[in-house]
Amino acid sequence: MASRVGSRLAGTAIAVFLAFAVCAVLILLVGANPLEAYAAMLEGSVGGIAALTTTGVRMTPLLLAGLGVAISFRAGVFNIGAEGQLYLGAIGATIVGLMPLGMPSWIHVPLALLGGIVGGAIWAAIPGYLLAYRGISEVVVTLMLNYVGIYLASYLVDTESGPLGERGASYSQSAQIQTVARLPALVAGTSLHLGLVIGLVLAVALWAMIRWTPFGFRLRMIGANPIAARYAGVRVGNQIVAVMALSGGLAGLAGAVEVIGLRYRLYENFSPGYGYDAIAVALLANSHPLGVVLAAGFFGALQAGANRMQQTVNIETSLVFIIQALTVIFVIAAPKVGRFTFPRRGAGTPIEEARGEAVHAG
Amino acid sequence: MEGITKRFPGVLANDQVSFDVRPGEIHALLGENGAGKSTLMKILYGLYRPDAGQIFVNGRAVDIDSPRAAVEHGIGMVHQHFMLVPNLTAVENAVLGLPSRRPPLLDLEAARARLTELSADYQLDVDPLAPVWQLPVGAQQRLEILKALFREARVLVLDEPTAVLAPAEVDQLFRIVRLLAGQGRGIVFISHKLEEVKAISDRITVLRAGRVVGTLPTAGASAGHLAQMMVGRPISLDRQSPPVAGGDTVLRLDQVNCLSDRGVPALRGVSLTVCRGEIVGVAGVDGNGQREMAECIAGLRRPTAGSVAISGTPVRGVVRDPALLGFIPEDRHRTGLILDFDVAENLVLKTVGDRPYSRHQILDWGRIFEHARGMIRRYDIRAAGPWVRVGTLSGGNQQRVVVARETGGDPALLVAAQATRGLDVGAVEGVHQLLREQRERGSAVLYIGTELSELLALCDRIVVLFQGEIMGEVPPDQRLIGRIGEMMMGRRADGEPTDERAA
Repeated sequence: MASRVGSRLAGTAIAVFLAFAVCAVLILLVGANPLEAYAAMLEGSVGGIAALTTTGVRMTPLLLAGLGVAISFRAGVFNIGAEGQLYLGAIGATIVGLMPLGMPSWIHVPLALLGGIVGGAIWAAIPGYLLAYRGISEVVVTLMLNYVGIYLASYLVDTESGPLGERGASYSQSAQIQTVARLPALVAGTSLHLGLVIGLVLAVALWAMIRWTPFGFRLRMIGANPIAARYAGVRVGNQIVAVMALSGGLAGLAGAVEVIGLRYRLYENFSPGYGYDAIAVALLANSHPLGVVLAAGFFGALQAGANRMQQTVNIETSLVFIIQALTVIFVIAAPKVGRFTFPRRGAGTPIEEARGEAVHAG
Repeated sequence: MEGITKRFPGVLANDQVSFDVRPGEIHALLGENGAGKSTLMKILYGLYRPDAGQIFVNGRAVDIDSPRAAVEHGIGMVHQHFMLVPNLTAVENAVLGLPSRRPPLLDLEAARARLTELSADYQLDVDPLAPVWQLPVGAQQRLEILKALFREARVLVLDEPTAVLAPAEVDQLFRIVRLLAGQGRGIVFISHKLEEVKAISDRITVLRAGRVVGTLPTAGASAGHLAQMMVGRPISLDRQSPPVAGGDTVLRLDQVNCLSDRGVPALRGVSLTVCRGEIVGVAGVDGNGQREMAECIAGLRRPTAGSVAISGTPVRGVVRDPALLGFIPEDRHRTGLILDFDVAENLVLKTVGDRPYSRHQILDWGRIFEHARGMIRRYDIRAAGPWVRVGTLSGGNQQRVVVARETGGDPALLVAAQATRGLDVGAVEGVHQLLREQRERGSAVLYIGTELSELLALCDRIVVLFQGEIMGEVPPDQRLIGRIGEMMMGRRADGEPTDERAA
């Protein structure tokens, strides 16, 4: 067990190294010094308190949404709709956060978070139901619901006609949420907020859930072999809907803390694709909740360091997204490439098996 | 084909198989499901590479590494499951994958003319402009044959071609096949139906467990002899003690009907009882409703009519009580085990949410592992420990894990489907032993199998299933092997042949 985790981490480290190496070539091609660029990135992400808090802020939504995506992957369900669920979560938290409830913060904040969880959970439960009971591809439905969610938020905060829109504002946004509905800062004077701690606690909680509860056991069962799970009496349909709701709830929470912890408003297009990056985070983490912490931290650091890199050596921040993408590709490809190079003896090659399957299925 | 050998993990699918077909000859390949017929033909058609052996075409050694190469060598195949694109027309399907005569455009008009010509020549009546999904099954099959002729096949392989046809269509197919052979083509006719093979072929090669049992001219081969060759001579019959006397009825199926996954009737009016202390065997060629029957009993499939009851309790929904039902499903890799899970986890797949394995929704891994260690000892599972991934165990030990899980709760009823498929001889004996122990303990056992010799050795009585109906019941007497074989082909116990229905 320990050695499996170890070799997995080593493999990921190699993938990260390869991604940086390939990008170093790109940096050379635009005539800059890659070492300087990477030094600037390091400085901007972990060099000092300010850099670290920036990393933490960028990491928080990636962590929460990444946990959501990872949990669906573990159940063999491909929820790629974290972006839409994140918007629904932000909408839910904004609605609750705007209400003048006259309650203390320790009630209003959890209620706002709950609003975010419910919003995301509903958004994910819809494709979950369609998959479990109607056999409709969750990939297509979650992907399409992203657009619905994003533009639903745009409509809601429209400055002229949106029910939540702030009239006369120069940008499409809601009014500011109640002061008591805001998440406290972790480090005074910075924008790092309690959302990061919530994410870290949930990562541990999810890890424990997968490992120590019957629900987690069944989740792994349907992920590893849904047919055997059905034969063992698991109500696979219910389990899928439950997992999707959980997955969407976590993504919704990511949107919620972004609103009540950082921006205090719902803005149009506020997410720079956190929900999509969350897919990469989950893939990089091999869908392990604790791995998600590392992966989200890594991506958060990359994104935090990107600005410094642009200022220092004048390299586009988009480079870090190339690094992100390459890292994931290398992580995913590495074991497969190995298998094609060294086919196991005795077994049919994957091509043979696929052909046999095709004949059978045809 | 000479000395063809093909291994899959844990299975020797073809073992030194030699097979030849002459021009103008109809050569039948006869064998039970899993005997290796399909594997052999997939090798011929370039879908699998053999581990050893050589293929010759017109006396020349050839290397067939893809279906394209097979086509180039004049080999055509009509698969059991048709390889047609439903949305395309007949003529479009015929030219699919072939180079056009005026690239980059299609030349469908010429193709249509050619197809019409071939249709007329061989009485293969197909509307060339009809989309395939509109064509009846028989016409789709004729189109598959036309496709092969379109590619100028000299050798035509027909894989279980009558399985999907109505009786009248079978006659028509036979006429076509004879016509094709009459023109000097070699025909390979794959089937497990004795009567058919006797009616159409010139020579018969019987395969069993991946080996050629023999090749003989059809003239003079008796059905009884062929059946024996197919199912194998029964191994030593160490009959067990008589059934525990006066057993109460444990399983009762009453006029059960149900549908298959594809929505066609899979069981028709099946009534059956199994009592305490007996092993009842269900014989039949694979795919005649056995899986659906087992799933109805386990509550995994809802009957459309009739009722199922275990120990007087009607089955509604999945039966999870380990004291009521143990269910060893066919295909342990797909349905019985989670290969990525370890032994301990696989042993509690059904009971993980119950005490003592979890309390207040928290798993007790100590108890789960303790349970696994006990089972490993009791069932002699050869694994280094409870934490070993089941996927790394041998087939026999994997099956022991399933048996341990399903019999560990001393179930009133044990249903075992193909419990020994793919296991080596020693492992088969081990599983038989475990099943007999259950019977002697007083459990009712329903054993679903395709190997007649195994059923004869294991069971107290045998019912035969054919196209979802019970053909009759026989005692496990090896002199009745021929009769059971006939019942498996659709002849009722009273001797009346049933009409063959389209599957």
